Amino acid sequence: AGGEMSAPTMEERKACWGARDEFWQCLDRHADNASQCEKLRRSFESLCPQQWVKYFDKRRDFLKYKKKLETEGYHPSETGGKS
Amino acid sequence: LVVLGALGAAGGAWLYLREEKGRRARARRQAELRALALGQGNFQLQDQAGRPRRKSDFRGQWVLLYFGFTHCPDVCPEELEKLSRAVELLEREPGLPPLQPLFITVDPQRDDAAALGRYLRDFHPRLLGLTGSAEEVRAAGSAYRVYASAGPPDEAGDYIVDHSVLIYLLGPDGLLLDCYGRAKSAEHIARSVRRHMRTYQPLHD
Repeated sequence: AGGEMSAPTMEERKACWGARDEFWQCLDRHADNASQCEKLRRSFESLCPQQWVKYFDKRRDFLKYKKKLETEGYHPSETGGKS
Repeated sequence: LVVLGALGAAGGAWLYLREEKGRRARARRQAELRALALGQGNFQLQDQAGRPRRKSDFRGQWVLLYFGFTHCPDVCPEELEKLSRAVELLEREPGLPPLQPLFITVDPQRDDAAALGRYLRDFHPRLLGLTGSAEEVRAAGSAYRVYASAGPPDEAGDYIVDHSVLIYLLGPDGLLLDCYGRAKSAEHIARSVRRHMRTYQPLHD
């Protein structure tokens, strides 16, 4: 365990989640146009460990995909390519 | 009056059948879990105070167990809050045996006793955390068929451990009685644990 950073504390986790939520709310307001949310993106990146930023980015993609499936349904004919 | 009586009887019968259905579903699930007999073995780990703890130390106690890691982005704190809340709900009820909240790391490389101490103090005061060597931790996890896979480290040496997310209920005989996924609330877990405590019959001596 020597030399590695300590895990984020409860306060640091909550600050990270807050910044993430603000960034995501901005994206929601701007139809995912990230260029409209650069300041909040930087805040999110500064308050969360890099690995968490990557993890939450993937999570957002997944949540949006899931929402798309729920609202639009699954259309296998549109996915093309892979089977 | 006769019609009301008949409706009352029909309603009562419907409620009874629904209860019966729930009882049978739970009994089936419990039989399946017992057949799997998860949670065998006798792990040998250390708690956040550095004390050695074996699985057999917990015989005679009810335990609510969660596997996770301290560098976990969101799932582990959420599940530990939920686990803590379930334990609190049950603590308020007189006449129930005590429930021991337990955390076992899936990241022994970083989660030493000190790291566990720092992390777990934000949750239930009696929450015990266990760590050990890579082999010991892996053995403890595999007894419960826990999936855990560390991702590649970044330049800072940080990594995420992908892992299965379940809260396990162990009975006083040390065997798995039930497990609860992400979707189960603290209230659901407390209700389920209470039911298990009230209907518990040891299988072995």
